[in-house]
Amino acid sequence: MKFEDVELGDDLPVEHPDVSMERVVQFTEAANQKFPRFTDHEAAKAEGLPGALVPGIMSQALLATMVHRWAPGCRIVKLDTVFRGHVVVDTSVTIEGAVTDTDDDTRTVEVDLTVTNAQGRTGVMGTAVVSFD
Amino acid sequence: MTSDITDGLDEVKKKWEGVEFDLATFEVTEQKMLAWAEALGEQDPRFIDPSHRDFQAHPTFCTHLVSRRILPEDFPVLGSSGIDGGKAIELHVPVRCGDTLEAVAAVAEIYPKTGRSGTMVFVVQRMSFTNQNGETVATVDWRMIRN
Repeated sequence: MKFEDVELGDDLPVEHPDVSMERVVQFTEAANQKFPRFTDHEAAKAEGLPGALVPGIMSQALLATMVHRWAPGCRIVKLDTVFRGHVVVDTSVTIEGAVTDTDDDTRTVEVDLTVTNAQGRTGVMGTAVVSFD
Repeated sequence: MTSDITDGLDEVKKKWEGVEFDLATFEVTEQKMLAWAEALGEQDPRFIDPSHRDFQAHPTFCTHLVSRRILPEDFPVLGSSGIDGGKAIELHVPVRCGDTLEAVAAVAEIYPKTGRSGTMVFVVQRMSFTNQNGETVATVDWRMIRN
């Protein structure tokens, strides 16, 4: 995809990323954050959580990965994410994005991104600035 | 008399905003780069194919690199509990296989905000990463919310 192909208001293709326990354990090992609240449903519940949680930085990284699939070869310059609510492991999660600004001078676009949990509540929201060099 | 979480906050800001409190070094290996990208289901060859001409770490790679301390040793305990408010990453030069990253941790900002659940204090820890060539590769801001 080129900068010229992007229009204000464009929606990124909706995705349902793999947040199974197997995948989350794989991530926590890569992130050196193998804590029970991320990898053990019972341990997480004992902490008062609804179940093992998808780490916030994993949700953030999944949003970046979605941007790469939408615009192969693009370069993410900034990615700011707010962790609003729980995203639980082994549940159905939806990630979405929409183009909210374009800049002809810098050839960058701004994309608003969300991670929605199985109950339809926003778990993570963010904004990416994406460069098309 | 009840105490407000913002009591004395101006003094805390004056004392701690801008203070650098830790330095950490990270070696970037092919194994670590691939483990991160593959755990995300990444398919862009720049991040999963070491033979790609532009092979580099995933843009969120630095978000998991943490200093020994999250906040300075004598930083005051604000409120009675805390939650992770999120991270912001700004990227400059790509992180490459074999890089040695040096990161400086600092208290970037301290500010109050009032919402439905009352007044909270945001403490932003900033890690600034440079490579062995002295180039800034990334800045990661971590918002910690105290209430």
